[in-house]
Amino acid sequence: MSINLKIAIAEPSVIIRSGLENLLKRLPGFRIQMVEIHSVESLFDSLRMHKPDVLIVNPALPGYFSLQHLKEESGCAEMKCIALLYAVSDSMLLRSYDEQINIYDSPDEIKHKLERLNAEELPGDEPVGDDEQQSLSVREKEIVVCVVKGMTNREIAERLFLSAHTVITHRRNIARKLQIHSASGLTIYAIVNKLVELSDIKSA
Amino acid sequence: MEEKGVYLAIQTPRQVRKKPMYKNGMYRETDKMSDLICENYPMVLVMSRFGIALGFGEKNIGEVCRQNEVDACTFLTVVNFLVEEVNMPVENISKCLSIENLIRYLHNAHDYFLNFRLPHIRRKLVDAISDCPKDVAFVITKFFDEYAEEVNKHMSYEERAVFPYVRNLLEGKKDPKYNITIFRKRHDQIEMKITELKNILIKYYPGAGTNMLNSVLFDIFATEEDLASHTRVEDYLFVPAILALEKQL
Repeated sequence: MSINLKIAIAEPSVIIRSGLENLLKRLPGFRIQMVEIHSVESLFDSLRMHKPDVLIVNPALPGYFSLQHLKEESGCAEMKCIALLYAVSDSMLLRSYDEQINIYDSPDEIKHKLERLNAEELPGDEPVGDDEQQSLSVREKEIVVCVVKGMTNREIAERLFLSAHTVITHRRNIARKLQIHSASGLTIYAIVNKLVELSDIKSA
Repeated sequence: MEEKGVYLAIQTPRQVRKKPMYKNGMYRETDKMSDLICENYPMVLVMSRFGIALGFGEKNIGEVCRQNEVDACTFLTVVNFLVEEVNMPVENISKCLSIENLIRYLHNAHDYFLNFRLPHIRRKLVDAISDCPKDVAFVITKFFDEYAEEVNKHMSYEERAVFPYVRNLLEGKKDPKYNITIFRKRHDQIEMKITELKNILIKYYPGAGTNMLNSVLFDIFATEEDLASHTRVEDYLFVPAILALEKQL
């Protein structure tokens, strides 16, 4: 299943920036939406506007910025930060980064690094085996049926004796597994897989 | 495979893996219009959205633009923006850019999506899924109609609120209650839901695969890409141009 990521690249050199962008776009297994940033001045605004999942930033970007401050100011507390390095760098400087990419890294190495970061991103969710990723659990199917019938999260929680929080978690997992985010998209899924009849929906 | 390549070139104006296929580099007024189109075929859509028809012979871009009363600077700004796949707000908008021309371009693009592209895909889609179970065909069509309505709403807002605001701005009249930042903040990506339809068809379509369905799928791929680049023109070219205009006043 492909991983959806929004990645911002903050790097002053257009050659390095577009080179990295090109490489990322061609990584198999990822669907990457790219945001380019070329100076500290546009860094805050751009992050605030796009709220990327990952920021790949050259620590030597001219102008001062601190990652902690950056995350707070731009409202991207969950954003992962990767340092983009041209050369050996002081480890103190790199402490606050989640990962590093060196410009001599191979596409494979970069892919593994992104996968590792992405795996960290989903703590607490029920563990999903690789082979099982696409298929929904019985509970998840029940929830799909409810959503398709037009029930609210609260109604679903009451019907299935779950907390509203659990329902939301399930819905997030469903969206991730199926790559379907809208109720009308789930309706097609439910009809195709015979989870509901058309008459169930029309009366709703 | 060869057949597929030819087919794509004829049927779909835009395609996902396009980087290796087109020539990069900034185009200038003195370049031939036919070279531009042949090297980057999606530009045929840009051209027609500026109101330029085919059949321009050996003329260069500047000549074709002047003949069609299109501002060549604006045309080239949009073309180079798209060809270079710019992914961030353009900082130094060239002074010669005609916002009037840019609005006409955006308006024609809306017209194209709402009155040609989406209805065309709908007709093909309905035709292509006519063999699959009635209930499935029903929900797929419903999904599409809801999507088309969303695009309609999205674009109508721009036509109704944003363009009139900018036209007033061009006449020096500032609206105290509106500014382009309001638009920038509420402007969402409208290609996401069509991406979803594409995923659903690919993963869950229950009927037999047909050439017609593949053709619809290619159209959807192309439209997804076309809508994404349309949004980029609005966010990264149009909005910065209006921001600059607001500062001047």
